[in-house]
Amino acid sequence: MLEIRELTRRFGATTAVDEVSFEVPAGQMTGFVGANGAGKTTTMRMVMGVLGVNGGEVLWQGRPISRLDRRTFGYMPEERGLYPKQPIIDQLVYVAQLKGMGRVAARTQVQELLERFGLGERAKDHLEKLSLGNQQRVQIIASVLPRPAALILDEPFSGLDPLAVDSMVDLLRDHTRDGIPVLFSSHQLDLVERLCDRLVVLANGRRVAAGTVSELRDAGVPRFRLVLGGDAGWVRDHAGLEVLDLEGTTALVEVRQDGAEQHLIAEATRRGDVHEFVRVRPALSEIYREATA
Amino acid sequence: MSTPSNTPSNTPDTGSGSAEPAWLLVTRREVVSRITDKSFLIGTALMVVMLVGFIGFTAWQDQKTDRVTLGATPDAVAMARAVADAAPRVDDQVEITLAELDDDAAARTALGESDVDAWLHPVADGWELTSESSEQDSLTDVVRTVVRQQVLAENASGAGTTVEALEAGSSVSTAFLRGDAEKAAVADAVGFVFVFLFYLAALIFGMQLASSVIEEKQSRIVEIIAAAIPLRHLLAGKVLGNTALALIQLLIYVAVGLVGLSFSPYKSYVPGLSGPAAWFIGFFVAGFIALACLWAVAGSLASRTEDLQTTSTPLTMLMLAIFFGGLSLDGRSQVIASFIPPVSAVVMPKRILSGGVAWWEPLVALGLLAVFAAITVWIGERLYRRALLQTGGRVSLRQAWSAAE
Repeated sequence: MLEIRELTRRFGATTAVDEVSFEVPAGQMTGFVGANGAGKTTTMRMVMGVLGVNGGEVLWQGRPISRLDRRTFGYMPEERGLYPKQPIIDQLVYVAQLKGMGRVAARTQVQELLERFGLGERAKDHLEKLSLGNQQRVQIIASVLPRPAALILDEPFSGLDPLAVDSMVDLLRDHTRDGIPVLFSSHQLDLVERLCDRLVVLANGRRVAAGTVSELRDAGVPRFRLVLGGDAGWVRDHAGLEVLDLEGTTALVEVRQDGAEQHLIAEATRRGDVHEFVRVRPALSEIYREATA
Repeated sequence: MSTPSNTPSNTPDTGSGSAEPAWLLVTRREVVSRITDKSFLIGTALMVVMLVGFIGFTAWQDQKTDRVTLGATPDAVAMARAVADAAPRVDDQVEITLAELDDDAAARTALGESDVDAWLHPVADGWELTSESSEQDSLTDVVRTVVRQQVLAENASGAGTTVEALEAGSSVSTAFLRGDAEKAAVADAVGFVFVFLFYLAALIFGMQLASSVIEEKQSRIVEIIAAAIPLRHLLAGKVLGNTALALIQLLIYVAVGLVGLSFSPYKSYVPGLSGPAAWFIGFFVAGFIALACLWAVAGSLASRTEDLQTTSTPLTMLMLAIFFGGLSLDGRSQVIASFIPPVSAVVMPKRILSGGVAWWEPLVALGLLAVFAAITVWIGERLYRRALLQTGGRVSLRQAWSAAE
């Protein structure tokens, strides 16, 4: 498990990351969301050790992370691109060797991964000759070399077509199945909701929400929707509730007093027909908007 | 405010768990990716061709014989024949054919139609050599010498004496305390080549190094590398790789130059040049490493290739100072400059070439240059490490020096 504890980074007078804490559990995909400039990239760069920290620490398997630990991590920086004018196999072998693999083993593994991504034929091509999608695939291969202990990916899905997104997702799932923690940042909320086990929301350098998707949706004040047979106007005068929306026979209420919803349903059935009474869980995008507002 | 910590560069370890140290991997990539690059190979080959061509041309120019036709009217035939006969003794590269002409008008026509290269005829106070529009250098020298000898001999016998008696004790010969005139000329020419090669290599490889630093910074591959190895190793590998490349290229040029010279009329100087050439290579390596680190810094301060122009300006100025300083300094200022790095990298080898350098002088100069290189490596490493991971616009030297990592 990867733990980020009260990580802080200042650039001059501005605090880019302010005491941010969260966890990336083993075998889970953790999505990292937030507006541009929220501090996602800075946090990831600190986790990878390419940027110094002003406070806080990063723990790996319960102890402070070391350089050797980081060498086993797969990392994909935000603006990607390897060496444009070098054959892809050569630069992938180079990256694998920098991460401590032997030359022969590196070549074998790179060859395997290239095959897997359908790039086996193009091993000797220069990177710049490949299409953007294929370049991205090469970048992905670079980040999973050698079999990483953890994956830190900055916007891995940006610029990918739907098919490439699917193969990327498959690859990530492969890793989480093996118990590898994956942290990735994204601003595509639908994707994050579909993929992630957990979610961390950052706004202005602070962590504003964290947890599993259902925890986040269940957190906050419970809301209910009530659809009646007749006019719902009377709900406004009901104690312990705040009416968020009222339209004809339908009311959306937020519970301000524990148990107020029970009194509401009792009152409603006493007054007439109740067509619907449901707990409303906010969509991730709503949570995100509220958290980052 | 606490000092940022936890960066790759200050975690003490060698950055290598594999068989090969990281800096060596980087060095190899630099060398391999460059040496397989077509433009590099073509550039090197072109330079070799130019060197061989230049040496060949000079040698040919030196050995070829001038064949000229000298025209003479009946009143000058005797003198012209004497000139033609005496020519090989005066200059063995001039061969003169005599063409007898009827009169002055025929001579002018022959000159105009290039049947003869020059026309020798007597005038009131001596002789005149007329050519169409350009001076016939070697012919003029020969004619001057022979006519003078002939006329002197006639005048001497008219006065009842001999040329030898008249000339006794009048000759002035030249002598040098060190070497001779031709040796000094060769030293000058080779010295120019040394300065030029250093300037060219430092500029071309320096620019290349700086832009490869920008390339890595721009594509953020440097972050992948920084997460895997200390940046110190990246810098060391890049500097060593480029130094190795520059050295290989230089060795090729020097070898081609020396071999070429040994087939030229100057072959007797080749053994004498080997020593200075060896010193030059030593100074080249130390000077190149010092400058390469600075080029890497220039690259790391830029964010885009377009910025390089600005961030490398002080360096290009320094390169020009080395170039012109190396070429123009002489006397006392040359002696002083030969100890001041980085100019000493070219000035000391030049002094060694012209001779008269005490044995300890190159050693001291090389030592000082090595110290200078060590300092630029140290400063360069700090600046490079701090500027490299800063994104968004140019980084000033002051920012880079004091930046948190």
